[in-house]
Amino acid sequence: MKKLLFLATLVVISSCKNETKQPEMQTSENPFFQEWNTPFEVPPFEDIKDEHYMPAFEKGMEEHLSEIDAIVNNTEAPTFKNTLEALEKSGKLLNKVQSVFYNLTGSNTNPKLQELQRDLSPLLSAHSDKISLNEGLFKRIETIYQEREGLSLTEEQLKLLSDTRKGFVRSGALLNAEQKAQITKINSEISELTTAFGQNLLAETNGFELILDKADLDGLSDGIIAAAAETAAQKMEAAESDEDKAKYKDKYVFTPHRSSMYPFLTESNRRDLREKLYKSYVMRGDNGNKTDNKEVAAKIAKLRAERAQLMGYETHAHFVLEERMLKTPEEVYNLLMQLWKPALERAKVEVADMQAIVDAEGHDFKIAAWDWWQYSEKVRKARYNLDEAALKPYLSLDNVLNGVFETTNKLWGVTYTELFDINTYHPDARVWEVKDKDGSHLGIFIGDYFSRSNKRGGAWMSSFKSQSNLEGKERPVVVNVCNFPAPVGDDPALLSFENVTTLFHEFGHAMHGILTNVTYSSMSGTSGPRDFTEFPAQILEHSASEPAILKSFAKHYKTGETMPDELIEKLLKASKFNQGFANTEYLAASLLDMDWHTLSAEDDIKDADAFEKSSMEKIGLIEEIAPRYRSTYFSHIFAGGYASGYYSYVHSAVLDSDGFEAFKETGDVFNPELAAKLRTHVYEKGSTEEAMDLYTQFRGRQPKIDALLKVRGLDGSAE
Amino acid sequence: MRSIKIIFLLFFFLSSAQIFAHPEDELIIREIEEGQLSFQDDQMTAEYEAALKRQRLRKLNAMSGSKQFFLFVKAGIEHIIPKGLDHILFVLGLFFSSLVFMSLLKQVTAFTLAHTLTLALAALDIMQIPGQIVEPLIALSIVWIAVENCVFKKTNKWRPLVVFGFGLLHGLGFASVLSDYGLPQGSFIPSLIAFNIGVELGQLLVLIIALALVWFFRKKTWYRSYIQIPASIIIALFGLFWFIERVFL
Repeated sequence: MKKLLFLATLVVISSCKNETKQPEMQTSENPFFQEWNTPFEVPPFEDIKDEHYMPAFEKGMEEHLSEIDAIVNNTEAPTFKNTLEALEKSGKLLNKVQSVFYNLTGSNTNPKLQELQRDLSPLLSAHSDKISLNEGLFKRIETIYQEREGLSLTEEQLKLLSDTRKGFVRSGALLNAEQKAQITKINSEISELTTAFGQNLLAETNGFELILDKADLDGLSDGIIAAAAETAAQKMEAAESDEDKAKYKDKYVFTPHRSSMYPFLTESNRRDLREKLYKSYVMRGDNGNKTDNKEVAAKIAKLRAERAQLMGYETHAHFVLEERMLKTPEEVYNLLMQLWKPALERAKVEVADMQAIVDAEGHDFKIAAWDWWQYSEKVRKARYNLDEAALKPYLSLDNVLNGVFETTNKLWGVTYTELFDINTYHPDARVWEVKDKDGSHLGIFIGDYFSRSNKRGGAWMSSFKSQSNLEGKERPVVVNVCNFPAPVGDDPALLSFENVTTLFHEFGHAMHGILTNVTYSSMSGTSGPRDFTEFPAQILEHSASEPAILKSFAKHYKTGETMPDELIEKLLKASKFNQGFANTEYLAASLLDMDWHTLSAEDDIKDADAFEKSSMEKIGLIEEIAPRYRSTYFSHIFAGGYASGYYSYVHSAVLDSDGFEAFKETGDVFNPELAAKLRTHVYEKGSTEEAMDLYTQFRGRQPKIDALLKVRGLDGSAE
Repeated sequence: MRSIKIIFLLFFFLSSAQIFAHPEDELIIREIEEGQLSFQDDQMTAEYEAALKRQRLRKLNAMSGSKQFFLFVKAGIEHIIPKGLDHILFVLGLFFSSLVFMSLLKQVTAFTLAHTLTLALAALDIMQIPGQIVEPLIALSIVWIAVENCVFKKTNKWRPLVVFGFGLLHGLGFASVLSDYGLPQGSFIPSLIAFNIGVELGQLLVLIIALALVWFFRKKTWYRSYIQIPASIIIALFGLFWFIERVFL
């Protein structure tokens, strides 16, 4: 009977797959072309098929462009309403399909969607260029901007006007024709180089494999061995020639992917193999072969500097930081260097601790970078003796969810009702309605917590619908996606403490997306600068480690007993473990990022390695630690959007530690007055005001670094 | 380490409001550092099934007691008609053994008592026998009953005992279906009882339909040679096929 059922499911699943091959698609069947009469306008996931996306994207872009044309060709004189508000209202279809598509490519993808994603990327970037380089559109905006004083605009409208104008200016709108041509040329060169950087790195990461025999597995646990055998089996299946297949037969494969490398570095007793795998990771893009990234990185940095100079900025960092909370490279360096010294000192102590274990074991070697994971784990066991397995029964997913619901309820009075009649894209994605303290609807929260094979790793918040008050009251639909291990059998899902803090963190982002209350959707929720938008997430994450809050939800799933104080104490003490290493590698990468992007156009870096080396020598990085990302695989800054922005993570951490301290100073972690301030000035405001102003209005002063040093054990409090 | 790692777990929000954002940025980074996703059909099916069960249980736990009870009665019926073809055939096997009311009643009662017992024992986790053993035996039990119908003209005395033994097996079969379906933690026993009631109702329905179909022929002299034996042979063949399928395929 089981088998029959199983077969039936297979038939259903495969018939779904066949359906996707229909070539002709009636527009009337495409849900993106219809009104969504679903509760709370949650997308009708069940009706959306893979083949609906492309037509909707195409029509969405077309509509968007014709709406833009209508704005530009409007014969009336430009006004805030007929230009900026019209712009704000444009592109509805594109937004609709884009938000569903990019959510699902992360949380519930398939090979078809992945292919679409690759096809769409150049189309969408050409589309956004068409708008951001539209001269007629800029002219209208500029006219309004010049007249802004006499227009009696609200503060929010002024911010939208100046932000939109700035976007155009930063794309080169104020330059002359020759300069514009130069910018376009530089942009396309940068775009080619960043793509090449990513492709090289992908080839380098996938190109290395450590193929091991059974005899080489000393120290590895069963789960890790099974995963390595599985990798070998997959490689064998993918191999084309028999000779290649034979290479993997009955072998175990480890790769420089973090999920494969970290467990190996932690557990393997073979120091020679640890060294080999570690070096393969840190040498990616630095092997002097076809896929070397040294020159690519140097060229990207130089082109960025040239572009910045053309635009009238000293360096690329100046160009980027203009829009952030920290406005200049000096401010960023200042922050990073304040943390650098204590972090490095702490790391040196950690090296000494590990060396003591090496010596005690009777070995005769000096701790090297590839020993860190193994020996830090030994220190952790010896010093903190925290049994993760003993924590988990107190941290069932449902209890933790109740914890975060209660915490936000105590802060802001919001309530949650789980809705069972709304179908989402996957049965593990649960739906809650969030209501304000007066019972009014605030938004929909979707929580998708378990990892599965068609979900990307990591944890994130996103939205299916954003908030706006422009055309009636539009309330948001937001989602949290995490990768917690799914429960086994009928037991409830039990989380690690790291999972718990992740859940609180992402829920903080979700609150930012749900409590937001602004007029224009482009300024709602999490739309602010990168070094600020982590703050609402991190301050909630921070609260999970507060004993009073932790105790309120950490109840044993069988007995209901609260987590014992002794266990909580151990847990909190262990959170300061290895902070020297974590901070040092992160800060080194942040400083490296800043060094690359404070180069001027005249600087001509020939050798990226030498540049990196001198940059690291300048700050005195020890050889036992490499930057979290070395230049040749720093894809955040050379392939992604983090150039001179990698520091953002720690800046948000400064804000959250400092902000949480405000609550602690009052002696009440739920202090109502502060909670109200936090809501009105931070969670509700989106990017309608300068981020630093928002923070200062909440805190009553500018942020200070002291609280963070204490939290991370860099003030000398860690043992 | 922890907090940085979490900071790292990344958070890139594609607020749909940001039309100028390039969400592919983060994708590149993730594909490089984590490797490609691998889509394995059987694993994905298993994950999806497990998620469906969790969803069903969440819904169940949020329901009122009477709604739950009703739902499990319905589930019990459905697991006989139409989903429990092998149980239907077994019951039909009993039906085609005898039209003598008392004999049939004894058999059906033995079957019901037995499967109720093992269903409860298995659902309460007191007894665990893997499906690879139970499922082929259930198929064999069908063959046995049907063959007996052909060999003996009248049911023998120990038939109810045999049926009781087989009933124990079928109970384990129901239990595995029920555990796939899931029982709500808050009202375990009532739901178990409701499910069992549903199974009995389904079984009764099968008997009533069968009786209605043969009602006018039941007294005919050719009833045994044209109906009872051929029907039993077909049932036996089905059982045999399932046995082979469950053991070898």
